[in-house]
Amino acid sequence: MASTQAERTSALAGSYTAGRFGMDGEAGVVFQEMVNLSLGLVAAWPDSFAAVAALAAEAVGAEAAPGPGKTVAGTKGALLRTEPLKFWIVGAAAPELSPEQGASLDLSHSRCHLRVSGPAAAELINRHLPLDLGEASCPVGTVMASAFHHVGVTLWRSEAGFELFLPRGFALSLWEILQDSAAQFGFEVI
Amino acid sequence: MVHRLASGGRIDRAQSLRFTWDGRTMTGHPGDTLASALMAAGEEVMGRSFKYHRPRGIMSAGVEESGAIVTVGAGDRRDPNVRATTQELYEGLTATGQNAWPNVRFDAGAVLSLFSRFFAAGFYYKTFMGLPPFEWGKGTGLWMQYEKLIRRSAGMGTASRAPDPDSYEHAHGFCDVLVVGSGPAGLNAALTAAQAGLDVVLVEQDFELGGDYLNQATEAAEQTRAELVAQLSAAGARVMTRTTAFGLYDYSVAGLLERVTDHLPAPDGALPRQRFWTLRAKRTIVATGAIERTVAFGNNDRPGIMTAAAGQTYLNRYGIMPGDRIIMATNNESAYGPAADLARAGAEVTLLDARAEVSDELKALAKANNILVRPGTAPLNALGKPAIDGLETVTADGTGWRPGEVENGDLILISGGWSPVVHLLSHRGLKPVWDAANACFVPPESDDPIHTAGAAAAIWRGEDCEASGRAAGAAAARALGKSAPEEAAPGPGGWATPIRPLYEVKLPGKKLKSFVDPQNDVGTEDVRLAHREGFVSVEHLKRYTTLGMASDQGKMGNIVGLALMAEALGREIPEVGTTTFRPPYTPISIGALSGRNVGSHFRPLRRTPMHDWNLANGGVMTMAGLWHRPWFFPRAKEGKTEAYIRETTTVREAVGLCDVTSLGKIAVQGPDATTFLNRVYTNPFAKLAVGKARYGIMLRDDGIVMDDGTTWRLSESDYFMTTTTAHAAKVMAWLEELLQTRWSDLKVHVASVSDQWAGAAVAGPKSRAVLEACLEDSSVVSNEACPFMAVIETTLKGGIPCRIARISFSGEMAYEAYVPSDYGPALMDLLWAAAKPLGGCLYGLEALGALRIEKGHVTGAELDGRVTIDDAGLGKMASTKKDYIGNVLRKRPELLRGDRPRLVGIFPKDRAQTFNAGTILCKADAVSGMGEGWITAVTHSPALGHWIGLGYIAGGHEAWQGKTAVAADPVRKGNIEVEIVSPHMYDPSGERMHG
Repeated sequence: MASTQAERTSALAGSYTAGRFGMDGEAGVVFQEMVNLSLGLVAAWPDSFAAVAALAAEAVGAEAAPGPGKTVAGTKGALLRTEPLKFWIVGAAAPELSPEQGASLDLSHSRCHLRVSGPAAAELINRHLPLDLGEASCPVGTVMASAFHHVGVTLWRSEAGFELFLPRGFALSLWEILQDSAAQFGFEVI
Repeated sequence: MVHRLASGGRIDRAQSLRFTWDGRTMTGHPGDTLASALMAAGEEVMGRSFKYHRPRGIMSAGVEESGAIVTVGAGDRRDPNVRATTQELYEGLTATGQNAWPNVRFDAGAVLSLFSRFFAAGFYYKTFMGLPPFEWGKGTGLWMQYEKLIRRSAGMGTASRAPDPDSYEHAHGFCDVLVVGSGPAGLNAALTAAQAGLDVVLVEQDFELGGDYLNQATEAAEQTRAELVAQLSAAGARVMTRTTAFGLYDYSVAGLLERVTDHLPAPDGALPRQRFWTLRAKRTIVATGAIERTVAFGNNDRPGIMTAAAGQTYLNRYGIMPGDRIIMATNNESAYGPAADLARAGAEVTLLDARAEVSDELKALAKANNILVRPGTAPLNALGKPAIDGLETVTADGTGWRPGEVENGDLILISGGWSPVVHLLSHRGLKPVWDAANACFVPPESDDPIHTAGAAAAIWRGEDCEASGRAAGAAAARALGKSAPEEAAPGPGGWATPIRPLYEVKLPGKKLKSFVDPQNDVGTEDVRLAHREGFVSVEHLKRYTTLGMASDQGKMGNIVGLALMAEALGREIPEVGTTTFRPPYTPISIGALSGRNVGSHFRPLRRTPMHDWNLANGGVMTMAGLWHRPWFFPRAKEGKTEAYIRETTTVREAVGLCDVTSLGKIAVQGPDATTFLNRVYTNPFAKLAVGKARYGIMLRDDGIVMDDGTTWRLSESDYFMTTTTAHAAKVMAWLEELLQTRWSDLKVHVASVSDQWAGAAVAGPKSRAVLEACLEDSSVVSNEACPFMAVIETTLKGGIPCRIARISFSGEMAYEAYVPSDYGPALMDLLWAAAKPLGGCLYGLEALGALRIEKGHVTGAELDGRVTIDDAGLGKMASTKKDYIGNVLRKRPELLRGDRPRLVGIFPKDRAQTFNAGTILCKADAVSGMGEGWITAVTHSPALGHWIGLGYIAGGHEAWQGKTAVAADPVRKGNIEVEIVSPHMYDPSGERMHG
């Protein structure tokens, strides 16, 4: 895909406007669409998990793969343990696997990656996702699957904020609702 | 005269708030409720009763209000049945009376009260249902007519018919301990738990924290309250005012309603009006207090009669002297405090105490405040109209009563005892227990993670409530592994002299109009009538008389009704039972339940990557499930019909492009993927070559068709499955279930790639030419390199990776081309630039449907969860050489019957006629009942030049050769004669798609 000259068109194209919106005062929420997402799915078999986990960690430049519901940030990308036998690789190329090792799949176009940060970010996300985002249950590095307006989404708490991965087809609809509900906090789109 | 005092209370006299009541402008102050402002303005009548249109005034100072029920707001913001006692006053508030004409002060409907003796429980049903002699034994036809008139004259306010302009939202919260109620118990409970290091949420339905502290006149009470609130904040507790915990559910989930802007004159549009919280707490402390009961006596519903605690609240919290000469009637100690406060403020107070004995302490309190106490006295009948001017009393005579004196006064305050607010416990299925000593239901022991504190546990004294709050907070903390100070929790009660249970006062031979549930006009005689008519269960009593069914849900009247029923039955109250309180505790607007799931977000909207491209190129969209899909692409002046006929014709004659992204797409990967697919599909997949696609059918376990689609083999261990749009999620979940529960030994992973790939169908004789123009290497789609059912992975111009299969839904030579979704618009640009010069078109769902109906290809409309593979005419795809899901049960005798409905094509006998999808197919001589089949899809067929349909009919088309069927559509088209033909109505041999 590296040789592709064509421009990628984001799911939010035409509906994503940078600026300051909603209530006055300090912006409670900051949105940033992380365009040109690189997302790979790596799945192992029970008997190949350790080997595949090591390959996945190597792919992102991390020392070891994370436990379930956890992530590690490596030098090249992030590794998210989304399911017991599955990882997401964000920002780096997925390793090539033989069928006996497991399966890898490019999902770069399947999600819209939206970063939500700011002092009211957790409060905004709790307007929609029934997840306990407190430090005890959701420290930085946590990844969880949840539902947002009936749509399955993935949430990763990174150093930079809450990384939302919205299924592409629903992304614009969810983006509209997010903006509606963020207006009460005052929000910035960057 | 009722009047606002010059000082005192929690209102800000420095500021005035203007509001209108029934069109008249009035003023109040910040800190007022609508009720207190109306009372201060001298208003007495604020509502008209449900059935009899009796005048009603303020009866309480809280959520239990049954009299001052009003409409707030106007136009599209009209909100009926608002309790004026809980509506915070704001500048510009507009309120009107309801259930009255022309207004609540002079209501023409009040004439009904003259006939009230006829309008007993069940009157309307008895009188108008099955109206004798016209409808004896013949149903309720006339009732249907009467009901409209009756409903108009009896009732509550009316909601606005206009769309709600406000927004609402849902929210999720988490905490260690939820404390409901911020009175002496709640504040102490929350503070103790927070100081123990727990994450505490305190919710309070009022706009101020403090509960009963707010009703006290002493500086000490205010100081205690302020200190507790400050400490609570310092301890990090989260406090939510104007928030009602309306329900408590499994796993300590509480439903909260936060009224965000209902108190604001001009809220910022960014704020939701109300917020519906789902709060997940580890433990819940119920400190919801108690509600003072009234007593049933004559005219006990008149304006100028309220609870004793309400009198105290209006005095101490709102700075209003509610009456000059006050007659109080009580059966317990709690009225003495309010009496003393009112007397100290200057009222002349006479206190009737139903008990013969009063403690020395209370006697001294009364004497010190010049309160005239009449022991052994109870209220019989309120006098005066419209304003109260006196009260006939009775005097204790053994266990009964004898006529007493008439007391003069302008306000009657009643205390009939207290009912702990046990609603939240009731929601959890915990049955309250009758406490005879305190004449009330108290919370039961339970293993639920719930603690009860304060008056909600029938603890009456303020300092006991504080202690019980601390004990509950500490108990919750210890249960969650924190250390907290040990403190003995006080038990129920706390009065020096016990309550004398008193629910109704009456004298033999004296006719009285005594109300139990004033909001629904249920009187004591209605309860007795219900008993005489054979009702013995309190649940039936409720439904027959409507006792406790109004918006207050029996908060004031239920216990009295229960006591009257018990008396009539000669039983004790606990033997009669109590009705089960169900959520919500107080009414919730439908808007709050909907949250943001309204308008275009009623359901999540799914757009294809080509959505904007389709719109920019003239597409008219339609909903397909959650998807927005192009329906047709009209050219100048074309309507839908002209457009789809042109599009269909263009596909058959040249080429068309259609966005097919919505098809479900699933990656099936792993060394056992082939085995897996071979078990899932009815037809063999074991020998599908790499680079080939195959059409497959999958069944449910019960042998019914689940879905169909093509699956492409990309490598030895890598497949790309497509499903119908409608069943994509179901198939994905089904495959996961099979792998995780039945075949966990198979090394297969499935993943939805529906969102990863954008797809377009390129269909028609010139489809290859279009693709050739778009590819970097045009030779890959030659007939040799890419024959029918071939799959190639290649590159479009611009280096866009692309997956192409030569498959056909239209029956023409056709391809489906998929690119990673972000390249969807680029794909369409390329294809359209190539197709347009070749006379091609864009086509939508309507033409897609026409093309596939002509071919007899099935889709979700035909695979509706009732049909077998044979019914759908696809029996040849059921392998006899292997096993697969559904293979056993599809062979059940019932599913093999020859007369089952089979897929057929349908022509109108008169080719100029049309018929609708959903029409029932019948025998020509038996147009009735369920018929012989049904029509699933219809279209004009450009290829055949007339209307056609697909559907199912018993026996299939072979059974109908030479016979005429009738398409019966009684509410639309009527009956039309049709011919039943093969479903393959166009190019049955399939030559065209082989190119």
